[in-house]
Amino acid sequence: MADNLQMWTDLGMDVDKHDALCQVLPTAFGDVYLSQENRPEGMGFYDFVVADIHGIRPSELIEAQKNGRKVFGTFCVYVPDEVVIAADGIVSGLCGGSQFWVEGGEKVLPKSTCPLIKASVGARLDRTCPFFRIADMYVGETTCDGKKKAYEILGEDVPMYIMDLPQMKREKDIVKWAEEIKDFAAKVEEFTGNKITVEKLNEAIHTINEKRKALARIYETRKSDVIPISGKDALLVMQIAFFDDPARCAEMANKLADECEQRVKDGVSVFPAGTKRIMLTGTPLAIPNWKLHHIIETSGAAVVCEEMCTGTRYFENLVEEDLGSLDEQYMALSKRYMKNNCACFTPNDARIDDIVRLAKEYNVDGVIDTNLKFCCLYDTERRNVERALNEAGIPVLGIETDYADSDAEQLRTRIEAFVEMLG
Amino acid sequence: MPEKNNLKYYILFDTNTHGFAMQALLKEEGIPSRIAPAPRAIQGELTCGMSLMIEPENIGDVRRVLEEKKPRYHAVRSLEGQINPHRDRYC
Repeated sequence: MADNLQMWTDLGMDVDKHDALCQVLPTAFGDVYLSQENRPEGMGFYDFVVADIHGIRPSELIEAQKNGRKVFGTFCVYVPDEVVIAADGIVSGLCGGSQFWVEGGEKVLPKSTCPLIKASVGARLDRTCPFFRIADMYVGETTCDGKKKAYEILGEDVPMYIMDLPQMKREKDIVKWAEEIKDFAAKVEEFTGNKITVEKLNEAIHTINEKRKALARIYETRKSDVIPISGKDALLVMQIAFFDDPARCAEMANKLADECEQRVKDGVSVFPAGTKRIMLTGTPLAIPNWKLHHIIETSGAAVVCEEMCTGTRYFENLVEEDLGSLDEQYMALSKRYMKNNCACFTPNDARIDDIVRLAKEYNVDGVIDTNLKFCCLYDTERRNVERALNEAGIPVLGIETDYADSDAEQLRTRIEAFVEMLG
Repeated sequence: MPEKNNLKYYILFDTNTHGFAMQALLKEEGIPSRIAPAPRAIQGELTCGMSLMIEPENIGDVRRVLEEKKPRYHAVRSLEGQINPHRDRYC
């Protein structure tokens, strides 16, 4: 793979420092993923993506840039991919999920910043991730305070555009978000040099809806008593969806869904009958953050749903298609994206409703509410989450963790006790 | 999901294309293989990429296919203790 080394050098990466990540990733992936038996064959694609995670997709993006296309790096499920795609741009998720990048972020951010933000800033400033080097423009959003201030730091190093996300969900907030999307579209047109037309935006909306439907099909099979795919495999699919080509993402997810549906019909489960079913809710699990899923699934339980940005929030709700004007399309986008229920909103009762609804739909035995350290928004919302689940008679365990290995043993003890308590 | 802490073999490649061709060939021959990130310890250069992981019981068949069909690959390496689901070392 000598080509990768040349590519990373050309991107101005610190290849020596990056090599430390190359050393730990294969072992972690082996322990977490290749230790599993009887996985769906369709996971081979996702294994390949990870095997060459800093090679294959980055080289595609660079090739596209050579043909004049622009790459937009994003950090949040509120940024509408459709707008970028309609201008022939490419979207790549940039959230950092590795402890490897945290130290670089701590050079410029308070230690009391969540690990996702520290890792994202560290990956850029330490020059140890090709995706962060390739993106022509970063698109931020005013979700949490930590990200807002981090964007000011990133903006010193890379072109940065910020979308002003409302923090309430009144009718006027949905109108405001539609206006923000319209402003963003103008910026994307200027940056790419391509006009966004009604036809192109309709095509892009359709493409992303198809991707959402494909991912939803995989999740649908996880509702079955027969669990055709492990939680960590489903998580990997979601994590890769953030930076893969959307049409290919839909194609591969549909293939995997076909296989999972067949497994359900044939009674093929990756867990023994009676394994306790867990839903995770909380902060996102950016790639390669596999810690919690792995601990749960090696502690006698199975993860069957994630009420997270790297889960149901990413694919639930479709955008209305085939509208006749850009203004109507921007409003349709706003309506769909404002249905995402992030703890940055107040009130955020719809998320609590989602959690109880999903816990029932996926027939879970218990919920683990997991929040990244220093995310005070989700941490504060824990009270409402626990109260609602208690009222619904669904056991819940609250966990606060980060990307480090140091609390793994303690987490394992707590999770094993929780699973045992579920009977 | 039983613990596995034993010996594995990895076929290394210069390009992903060679890796996919090998995977297809092994599948044709009925020999199981799994795509895995090449362990850095055996990769031997400052990069990362695709490998095919082979269980020890199948390595004899793999070597026979390599000898008979002459597919393109970089090297075959063995490594102990590479997979341990209870190691709790993440990245």
